[in-house]
This record gives sequence, structure tokens and C-alpha cells, in this order.
Amino acid sequence: MNHIALKMLMGDRGKYLGIVMGLTFASLIMTQQPAIFLGLMSRSYSFISDVGLPDIWVMDAKVQFVDDIKPLQDTELYRVRGISGVDWAMPMYKGLLKARLVDGTFQTCNVVGLDDATLIGGPPVMMEGKLEDLRRSDGIIVDVDGARDKLGKPSPTPGGKRISLKVGDSVELNDHRAIVVGIAKVTRTFQSQSVVYTTYSRAKSYAPKERKLLSFVLVKAKPGQDLAELTRRIRATTGLAAYTRGEFISLTYEYFMHNTGIPINFGISVLLGFIVGAAIAGQTFYNCTLENLRQFGVLKAMGASNWVLLRMILLQAVLVGTIGYGLGVGLTALFGYSMRHSILAFKFPWQLLLFSGAGVSLICVFAALISILKVIRLEPAIVFKG
Amino acid sequence: MQVKYTLPILAVTGFLFASYTVVSSNKPIPVAPAIAPPASAPFKSFIAGAGIVEPKGRNIAIGTPLSGIVKTVAVKVGDKVNAGMPLFYLDDRDTHAELTVKLADLAKAKASANEALASLKDTQSLSDLAEAVTDRRAISSEELLRRRNALLINAAKLDSAKALVQQAEAALANTQTTLARLIVQAPIDCEVLQVNIRPGEFAQAGALNTPLLVLGNMDQLHVRVDIDENDAWRFDKNSKAVAFLRGNQHFKTDLILAYVEPYVIPKKSLTGDSTEQVDTRVLQALYSFDRKQLPVYVGQQMDVFIEAKDYPGNNGSPL
Amino acid sequence: MNPSSLAVRCQNVVKIYATGDQKVTALNGVNLDIAMGELMMLVGPSGCGKTTLISVIAGILDQDSGCCEVFGEDLLNMSNQHKLKFRARNIGFVFQAFNLLPALSAAENVSVPLIINGMKRSDAERKAITVLDQVGLGERVSALPSELSGGQQQRVAIARALVHSPKLIVCDEPTSSLDHETGCNVMALLKEVALHKDRALVIVTHDARIFDFADRIAEMDDGHIVEVKDKMTQLLKNIEHG
Repeated sequence: MNHIALKMLMGDRGKYLGIVMGLTFASLIMTQQPAIFLGLMSRSYSFISDVGLPDIWVMDAKVQFVDDIKPLQDTELYRVRGISGVDWAMPMYKGLLKARLVDGTFQTCNVVGLDDATLIGGPPVMMEGKLEDLRRSDGIIVDVDGARDKLGKPSPTPGGKRISLKVGDSVELNDHRAIVVGIAKVTRTFQSQSVVYTTYSRAKSYAPKERKLLSFVLVKAKPGQDLAELTRRIRATTGLAAYTRGEFISLTYEYFMHNTGIPINFGISVLLGFIVGAAIAGQTFYNCTLENLRQFGVLKAMGASNWVLLRMILLQAVLVGTIGYGLGVGLTALFGYSMRHSILAFKFPWQLLLFSGAGVSLICVFAALISILKVIRLEPAIVFKG
Repeated sequence: MQVKYTLPILAVTGFLFASYTVVSSNKPIPVAPAIAPPASAPFKSFIAGAGIVEPKGRNIAIGTPLSGIVKTVAVKVGDKVNAGMPLFYLDDRDTHAELTVKLADLAKAKASANEALASLKDTQSLSDLAEAVTDRRAISSEELLRRRNALLINAAKLDSAKALVQQAEAALANTQTTLARLIVQAPIDCEVLQVNIRPGEFAQAGALNTPLLVLGNMDQLHVRVDIDENDAWRFDKNSKAVAFLRGNQHFKTDLILAYVEPYVIPKKSLTGDSTEQVDTRVLQALYSFDRKQLPVYVGQQMDVFIEAKDYPGNNGSPL
Repeated sequence: MNPSSLAVRCQNVVKIYATGDQKVTALNGVNLDIAMGELMMLVGPSGCGKTTLISVIAGILDQDSGCCEVFGEDLLNMSNQHKLKFRARNIGFVFQAFNLLPALSAAENVSVPLIINGMKRSDAERKAITVLDQVGLGERVSALPSELSGGQQQRVAIARALVHSPKLIVCDEPTSSLDHETGCNVMALLKEVALHKDRALVIVTHDARIFDFADRIAEMDDGHIVEVKDKMTQLLKNIEHG
């Protein structure tokens, strides 16, 4: 009977393609839109996930998300260092500074100051130069996107592409000279500012004079130390906020979830994709079943049980669902692949495959269900009506 | 029936490509390694502080007693000097000229004294002659009196001339002292750490922001450790301490407490910009260590860990 | 008549359709016996209850009262499951509109009843091809219904009704979609291939041109059997009229 079900489904090529396209569309929207959403959201915390070495981030108790810098006194670093269970603790400066480019324009960039000795918290991938080069005088490392675009030199021809910043070029950071000693690849951040890495003490001299300049204390726990226990201890002894990397990521993520319209916008897109997909695919599938109702009646008259017919419809639904799903996620992946070098945010975790799979399944189940109801209620006697 | 196979094949391809994308795009971000492994405390519970290396007895900022142009600098950075060895010479030409004058003054005073002595002897002999006349009639009493008085006068003149010699000698000695003060000498056996003065420059007497020379005793180095006032109560003089050289945690040394400065001072940042103001106070403890264990330079920072008792239970007040 | 040779026995069968407040009595006490090896035609004006009657006989519609036994089994008291199996095994259908599955080839269409009865697809298709051969379509086994003429399609439908060797074949206006010649050919084929002593055929028709093929003709009107004529009576009548 499976064979018959498939033949029945594919018999009407137009309808079959219609159903598959509807489901493809639904699956595409339900995968691609969340992928962009997740990409955007992951950019909100990409700075945290890029810094892989420390386990715990210590900061002011009132910090709401990663770009909400409330600096600490330098001595807090040593207080944190003195807490048992802490393997090491390193300072990190993070702030927005104005860079003056050769052509006189200003560009705000994200300056990150790393501990002078260890350079912990550096960029994950160096494309040119080495992280150690930061020890050279006035050295900074610029992220590749910023070097190519925002911090690049103006094009010799008007309107042309900017000339990429190279190792050895100089920039002015808050009236201080800075020499590019390396180009790094970092994950794009939410505001897409270019990132400039330098040492902690140099960052402090670049930064406007303030009483407090220590943005974060990066802590590594001793091997075997329970992180939750250690964060609690740091909080209790210093009065600062201490989060594990995961907690800090979710703090930032939650902030963006609750304080921006992004989740709602994308939620609506996804819902729309679901509804339109469900409408197209469900409708076409149902129509197809209606059209084949007489055939189902014949089968029923010839002694095919409801269960057999149900299995046939389910098989049809599963087939179109699987095909539509595969095409949809494939197109999404293709989309992401073709956009991989652009500014577009795109993140495709395996959970998203499940999510869109569940969405497509839901549509198929819905479509199959109304068809099945129709077929089960069908009186085989209709076959005798001309 | 081409549709029959193309669509499922496309779908399978699509799904595989999506899976590939999922796998390849979600590779964990590589972790940037620490350039130098960070120092970590060898104790379970400890106080951490930044230490700065300084010579025992701190650094001596050499000043000059007199202002003047520097003539020559007798030492260079890194020289080991003994107590009393000259460090630099100030311009002494006017003092030398003055010395010549003073010497002439002395010679003149001495000549005057000799002259007074000669006069005294002359009057002495005339007086002795008169006194030797036993017949009072042979010499008028007036003459006798005149000769006695002349003797007294000349004696007084000699005293006066001698006093002038003394004065001239004192003046000479004064000039010589000035001359000696134009040569700045090492106060103790030590090493020259910094030379900020060059011949021809004007050396200002008094306390300067930039000392003319910095000397220090490099045989024995101390680490001055800042302990946050919040942690000061945990500090125990008898507990162990370890210092790590910044940039290479393999260079470490045990520390022996030298002394604790009992006065808690406002923190001057050891780690950053000197203009930075931080409203915290620090307890400073000085530790000595074996210099041979570390290739360390004066003024270098070290990460110091001092064993200490733990904070009271986790519910303890943060304040 | 020997009960064992009786295919269908209807006694006082009543069927009332209720649509809202209106009640339409489709069958109003029908009594009809059909013997094995017999070709029974049901004739009558439209709306007289012919289709309802064959639906009841074929076990796809339950009567409201009365008794309808097919091969000695009371369909009304049968469980649904049992009735499905009974239908699948014992009854073949030929429809006015052929009702072939348009996506399936002739052989596949014919093999459907066998597959419903649980036969493997390859075996079923092999059997289907032999039956298609019998109805003269051995050359067109892989043609789709849309590629066949009306007469060929009805022959496929006949093959489908025959393939699982049912004991009763129910035909609903098998010739009314066909021209006269094709209709006669189809009827001839039906009679030749389908009818033998262990099988009964019930044919509902308007088509007076094919009355000649019937063994007996039951005339229906208004939910009753008005008259059952056997072939001889029929012939005589024809002669009278002629």
C-alpha cells in the first residue's frame, strides 16, 4: 500500500511540487530567520565567548551586559587574586575610544587591554603578526574586519574600496600614537565596532583619565574547584559580581532579549513563516487528499481499513515533510554559506535543525490530521455516485 | 518520473549540506593561549599583591650641597663605588681663585705677625737694656716708662697679628671646605643605578623631582609589597611568601620578611600611570630574597603571594 | 432454490437517509435473492434505490432494518474489521466512472485488491498481468488510465474486480460512460470472463441495450422491487412488444 500511497502523491506533479515548495518555504523561513536571530544574539556575547581561557568574569555588581562597563579599582584585582580557589586572576580593560585615522576622520573602536605579562584574553586567531608583538612599544592588534573597513585608509579613487590597514601602519588613539603590530580574526560583535587589542597599561594610557579603569577581572579556577562555589565566594568576599563564562553569556543574552525588539521581530517572522508554510502546505495537502477522496473511497470499498489509509496519508505527509525540510535546511545552509564573508549574522546550531524539523513536522501532522479525519469519516458508498 | 527521485535526492543533499554547515560552523572558537603562563599561588589561602624590587635601604637619591655647573661626572651607571669615592665634580674655578686670595691673605698676615714679633724683640731688648741699669739716675724714669710701654704695645701688636693669621687660616680652611663640597662623594658602598646629570649641566641644590644620581645597595634587594588595607588584617609576619617574576612564572623565589612599614600609606600605583589616583591605602611589607635565584632588576614588578588565613565563612560580610 | 447456492438474500431491507429534518426512504422493504452463477441486473428510474441496495449488498452501507445475508453471513451483525476483510476477499467492484487510480499503471491498478488482501506487490502484479491478458489488455499493462480509452479503462476495472477471485461482483452502471458497441463488448467480456458457477454478478444499469446479458432483471421503483423477470419472460415480453 506504501507504493500506492507514494504513486498517488506523486501522480499529480503540480500538487506534489506545490506541497513540497510550501514546506520548503516554511522550513526555509523557520530555519533561516532563527539562524539570523541566533547569529545576532550570539554577537551580543561573542566577546565573552572569544575569550576562552578564564572560567570566571568578575565585575561591578551593577553590570547588566558585556558592553555595560562599570570600572573597578585596580586593587580589586589583588583582592580577587587572594581568594582561595583562584588559580590566577588577570585584569582586562574594555572601553570605547576614538581612533583618528590618517585622513582625519574619527572612528569609535572597542579597545581591549590585556594583562601586560601574560596577554590573557587575546584574540582567538591571529592572521598577521603574533600576540607577543603587543609587547613592542605602542603596539596594537586590530581585528581584520575593522582593518579592512572602518579603520582602513581612504581609497585613492573617490568612492572606491578602502585600503586595508597593514602591520606597521599607525593610528591615533585618543591623541596617542599606536602602531599596528598584528591583524586578528575575531567574532563580530553586536555593534560591529572594530576591535583594538593592546596591553592593559597601554590601554590605561590611551583611555581618558579616570579614577577607575579596570573593567573586568578574568579568573581561572584551580583545577577541581567548583565554579559555582568559587563565584559565590568571590561575591561574598569582594562584594563584586562574579559570573562563570556561561552565566555572563546568558546575562548579556537575557539583557538583549528583554531590552531590544529583536526577539519579537524575529519571533513574528518565524511565526509568519510557520503560518504561511502551514497554510500553503497544509492547504495543498488537504486539497490533494480531497481530490483523491474518491480514490480513498474506492480503496475503502475494496476493503482497505482506516488504519491502512491513515498509514498511507501519514507516509505521504512524512515524505513531503522530509523533502520540504531537507530542501529548506539545505537552502538555509546555502544561504549562510554564500553569506559567510558578509556582515550578515548567521548561526546554525544543531538545535535549529531540530527546531525547524519540529515546525515542519507540526505542519505535516496538522495537514495529515485534517486529511485523515476527512478520510476516516468518508463513507465508501460515495463510490457509487457518478 | 524524474521528479520522483530528484526531489528526495535534492532534499537529502540539502540536509547533508545543512548538517555539514552545522558541524563546520559551530566549531569551538580557538582559545588564545597565555603568552606567559600566569603565576599562581602555591598556597591554599593567601594574599596577593604587586611587589616592586628595590635595593636594601631603599634607593639613595644623590643631591648636591651647592648649586653649580657640573664639571665632570666620575661614575657611570652600574659602577660599584666605595664610601667616599667622588661621584661628580662641580665647577670650582672661582673657589680656586678665592683660595689663592686667601693664601695670599695668610702670607700677608704671617708677614705682619713676623714684623710684630721683630718689633717686640726690638722693644724687648731696649727694655731689657734699660731694666739692666741699676743706677736709676743713669736713666730717666720717663725713658724707662716709655721703653716698658713700648714693649707692652708691641706684645699686644703681636697678639693681634697672630689673630689675623688665625683668621686668614680659617678663611683658607673655609674655602678649602667649599672646594671639597664641590666634589660629591658616595656616602656608602653601593652601586650607581641612575645618572641624570652630565658635564656642563647645572646641578641644583636641594630636593629634586629627578635626582641627580640614584645609588643603591644591590648586594641585597628587597621587594616592597603593597597589601590592600582590606587584606591587611589577614597579614601575618611569620607566614611564608613567594614572589614570581612577571613574564615567566618559572622564576620564583621564597621571600623572607625584612620589616613592615607600620604606617599604612595611600597607594601609589605601582602598576600603571603615575598620575592615577586611587583612594585606597596599602600596608607595605618589605621582603628580602636571594638575588642569585632571579635575574631581576631593580624597579621590576613581581607577583607576590603571602600565605594567609582564609576569609571567614562564605556568609561572612564582604566589608 | 438451494440455500447453499444462494449468493445474496435480502429480506425486508429498509434504509432511510436522514438529512437534517428531512427523511428520505431509499429502501422500503426490499426482498431479493441472488443465486450463484447468476447475472442479476437492477433496473429502475434514478432515485429508486438501486445504488443504495447494491451498497447494502456489497457491505459498504448498513441498512436500518431487515436482513441482508451474503453467502449466508449477516453483514449487519459483522464487526467493522470482519466486514472489511469480508469485502476485500469476496466482493469485486466495477464502477460507472471506472474509478481507477490515475497515478497507477493498469497492472498496478489491477493488483490493488490483491495488495489489500495482503499479497506481496511483485506477486500481485504478476497475477494482475495474467488477468489483464484475459481481458485482452496484455499489451497495455504499464499504461496509465489516462492513456487508455474508456472501454480499455473499464476492462482494467473489470480485471481489478476479478483479480482476487471474489464470489460476488457488484457493477454500478458499467456501460453508461461508454458508447453502445464498447458497452456491449464490455458486457460480453464481463459475462464471459467473470461469470461462472461460483460467482454472482449484480449489475445496476439504465442501459436497456444490455438487458440481454442478464439472467434475471429486478425492476425497482420507490424503494421496492416491483418485478423480477427472468430471461425467458424478458424474451417473451420483447417479442410481444416487438
